[in-house]
Amino acid sequence: MSSDGHTQDTAPALGATGTQDTASALDVTDTQDTASALDATDAQYATDSDRLPPAPRTTDIDMLEPKPSSPQSSQSAPTSERRAGAHTRIGRGVKLEKLRAFYGEVEQVKGVDLDFNANEVTAIIGPSGCGKSTMVRCINRMHEEIPGARAEGRVLLDELDIYDAAVDVVAVRRAIGMVFQKPNPFPTMSVFDNVAAGLRLSSRKPSDLHHKVESALRGAGLWEEVKDRLGEAGAGLSGGQQQRLCIARSLAVEPEVILMDEPCSALDPIATLKIEELIDELKARVTIVIVTHNMQQAARVADRTAFMLGGELVEVGPTQQIFTNPNDARTEEYVTGKFG
Amino acid sequence: MSPESSARGRVVSPDSKTGGAPPLTAQQGRLHFQQELQGLETRALGGLDVVLEQLDRTLESLAHQDVELAQMVIADDDRVDGRYLEVHQGILSLLATQAPVAGDLRLVAALLHVIVHVERMGDQCVNIAKLIPLSGYEPPVRPEVLEALLKMGAHARSEIVQCKAAFSGRDIGLAEDLARQDREINRLNREIFRLALEIGDDPDTREWGMHMILVARALERIGDNAVDVGEQVAFVVTGLFREFSDQTNPLGS
Amino acid sequence: MSTDAHMLERFAVSAKRRRRDRLARSAILGATAIALIPLALIVYYLLSKGLGSWSWSFFTTDPTGNTFFASSSIGGIKSAILGTIEIVAVASALAVPIGIGVAVWLVEYGRNSRFAHTVRFFVDVLTGVPSIMFGLFVYIVLIIGTGSSYAAYKGAFALALLMLPVVTRSAEVVLLLIPGALRESALALGAPRWRVIFKIVLPTALPGLVTGVLLAIARAAGETAPLLFTAGATLKSGFSLNGFMNSLPIQIYTDVTSATTSVVNRAWGAALTLVVMILLLNLFARLVARRSSVG
Repeated sequence: MSSDGHTQDTAPALGATGTQDTASALDVTDTQDTASALDATDAQYATDSDRLPPAPRTTDIDMLEPKPSSPQSSQSAPTSERRAGAHTRIGRGVKLEKLRAFYGEVEQVKGVDLDFNANEVTAIIGPSGCGKSTMVRCINRMHEEIPGARAEGRVLLDELDIYDAAVDVVAVRRAIGMVFQKPNPFPTMSVFDNVAAGLRLSSRKPSDLHHKVESALRGAGLWEEVKDRLGEAGAGLSGGQQQRLCIARSLAVEPEVILMDEPCSALDPIATLKIEELIDELKARVTIVIVTHNMQQAARVADRTAFMLGGELVEVGPTQQIFTNPNDARTEEYVTGKFG
Repeated sequence: MSPESSARGRVVSPDSKTGGAPPLTAQQGRLHFQQELQGLETRALGGLDVVLEQLDRTLESLAHQDVELAQMVIADDDRVDGRYLEVHQGILSLLATQAPVAGDLRLVAALLHVIVHVERMGDQCVNIAKLIPLSGYEPPVRPEVLEALLKMGAHARSEIVQCKAAFSGRDIGLAEDLARQDREINRLNREIFRLALEIGDDPDTREWGMHMILVARALERIGDNAVDVGEQVAFVVTGLFREFSDQTNPLGS
Repeated sequence: MSTDAHMLERFAVSAKRRRRDRLARSAILGATAIALIPLALIVYYLLSKGLGSWSWSFFTTDPTGNTFFASSSIGGIKSAILGTIEIVAVASALAVPIGIGVAVWLVEYGRNSRFAHTVRFFVDVLTGVPSIMFGLFVYIVLIIGTGSSYAAYKGAFALALLMLPVVTRSAEVVLLLIPGALRESALALGAPRWRVIFKIVLPTALPGLVTGVLLAIARAAGETAPLLFTAGATLKSGFSLNGFMNSLPIQIYTDVTSATTSVVNRAWGAALTLVVMILLLNLFARLVARRSSVG
C-alpha cells in the first residue's frame, strides 16, 4: 500500500514531491495524502519568518453549521404535500427558572434553569426516574393535574410567566401542546372528529373547521393517507398513523410549542423515522421539546440536548457537542452507555 | 472545552474530564464494547512496535550497508500493511455495530488516524531500504553524513516510542514534547543537506550523497508522523485538533 | 430413537393430570348446570303459566277489582303496566342524573380525598339496604310527616332512592375504567375539565353507563316493598303523579295470593309482562349505545 506518492526510487521521487524549493521542502510537515496538497502546505509554511503561531484548529464536527434557529434560515425545499397547508405561526421560546416539582413531599425536579430556543428542537435525555417527564409536564402545567403534585419556580413563555396567578391554565395548554408516549386517539371519534376535537373542546367554534382539519393533517404528514377515510374510527389506524393523528390533533389548535414525551417509543422503526422527519419539518412552525430514552434519536433530531440526572440538569448544549465532546464526566458516561 | 455548552444551564459540580473525579457510578455498561475498543487500541499501538522493528533493521542495514537486511525490511512491510487492514476493518465494524459517541467516538477516529500514520512510517522504512542497494556493496561512505543519519534515526526511534507512550497514557505533555524532538530531526536534516552539497566532485560520491538526502527526508517524515500521532492524543483528550509546532519557533506549541 | 422417546416422556401429559383435568371440568360444568336450573325453571314457568293469560284485553283493560269470577270479568293489567312505566320513568329521571353526577364527582374531583372515601362508603352501604327501608323512609317523611296520603310521586321517590346507589356504583366503576391517558390528552389540548368530562369521558363511557342504568331500572321495576306504602294501590289508570298509582309488582303481589285461579294466572301473565318489558328495554338501550359509540 505504498502508492500514495511516497518515494519508491529516485527518479519518480523527485517528481512526486513536487517541491519548488528543496530547502523548505525538507521542513514540510507531511499531513496530506496527495501531491497537490503537499504544495499547499509548502506554500503555507514557506519560511520561518512568515509563519504565524498555529491557531487551534477546531475539528470538523465543530466546523459544521449549527442547525439554524430562525425560521427564515431553516427552510429547505418543502415537500408539496406537507407545505401546502402550512400555517405561518412561529414558535416561541420557553425559559425555566429555578423550576422545582414535587409529588407530595418528594422533590422530583430540583431547581432547573433551562432555555428552549424558539423554532428549535431540544431533546431531554437521562436515565429513568431522572425527572425529565415531570419537568416537561410542568411546562404545560399538566403536572398539577396529579393529586398532591405542585411546582415552584417560573416557566416563561417568551416574557410571560405561565404560573402567574392571573394566567388561565387552559389558555396555556392551547399555546403549549403535548404528544404522549402511547398514541391515544379518542376511541369514540372518527379521524376527522379527533383532529377537530381540540377546536371543539375550546370555547370558540371555528367557521372553517374542515380547512383547519385538513391543514393540521397535512402538517402531520397524514393527509394523503387518510383523506378518504376521514369518517373512519381513529383507533382503526396503525400505530404510527395514530401517533401522527395525535400530532395533527395538537397542531389543529395552532400551538406555539409542542412537548413530546417519548413519542416514538411505542412505534416500529419505520414509523419512528417518519415522525422524526416530521419533527424536522414542524420546527419551522413551532418550538419542540422532546423527551427521549433513545440517544440516537436525540442525536438525529435535536438541535440542542439537555442531560438530566437525579432531578437536576447536568449539562445542556448543541447536540453535536454533547455527543462528541461533552463537558461533564457524567454526561460522557451516560451517552457512552457506561451507566443508565 | 467547548464554550457553548451549558450556557444557560446550572451545572451541578462540573467535573473536569482531564484528571477529574472518578465516575459517578461503579456500574460498567457495554463490557463487550469496551473490550473490543481496548483490543483495537492495542492492535493499533502494536503497529508502532512493528514499525519500530522495521526501523531498527533499516538503520542497521544503513549502518553496515547490509543489502540482504534491506530486502527483509521491504518484504516485511506486508506485516505493517496487514496490521493496517486489520485495524481499519475493526474500526469500521465498531462504528457499524456499536455506534460509539463522545470519548469513544473520538478514540475510534483517532485510531484511524494513528493506523494510517503507522502505515506511512512503514512505507518510509521501505523507501530507505530501497535506496540502500542502489549504492552497491561498497558505497563511498562519508562518515560524518552517516553519523548524522544514524543520529536522526535514533531520534526518530525515540519519537516512535514516545508517541506510543503518550497515546496509551493519554499524556498530552508527552505528546507535545514530541515537537521538541522533531525540531532536532529537522536540524539534522538540514545539516545533512548542507553536507551533501559540499560532498565534492566525485560522481559516485555525489550520487551516494543524493541518496542520503532522500534517506534523511524519509527519516524526517517518520518523525512528522510520530508528531501527528501525538496530535491525536490531544484530540482524544480534549476534543480539539491542534497542530503542534514543528518549526523553530520557540514560542509555538 | 431414544432421544425422541425421552422427549416424549418429558413432554407427555400424565394420566393423573388427565384425570384431574376431567374431574375439574365436570365439577365446573356441574356447578354451571346447577346455577342454570332455577333460571331455566323460572323461564319455563313464566312462559307456561303466563302466556296463557296474554290477550288483547289483558293489556288494554284495567283490573276490575272482582276477584271471584271468571277471567273475562276480572279485567287486565293496563293500569299496572302504565303505572310501572310512569313511576319507574320518574324515578329514573331523578336517580340517573344524580347518580351519574355523584359518580363523576367521585372519579374526577373527589378521587382519594377523605370526603370521597366517606361518600363511597355510604353509597356501598345503601346498595345493601333492604328495599323496604326506602319505602318506610318515604312513608314516614312524606306521608306521616306531612300528613298527606299516598301518591305516585312518593313511590317514584322511594324507587329513586333505591336506584341511586346502584347507578352511582356502576357508573363509578365504568368511569374508573376510562384510561387516564384519555383525560390527559383532552386536558393537554386546552379544555376545561368539565368539557373534558362531558365531551370525552362520558361519551366514551356511555355503553357501560347504559348497562349500569339498565340494571338499576330493572331492579327498581321489580321492587314491591318500596311501593307498598307510598304509591298507593289503585285499579284505575291515571297519569297524575299526585294520585294513587298501580304498578306491576303490586298487582302481582295482590293477585298471587288470591283463591281464584284466573286471578293467579293474571299474576303470572303480569310477571311475564314485566320480564319482557325489561328485556325490551335492554335491547333498545343497547342499540342506542352501539349507535352512539361509533359516532
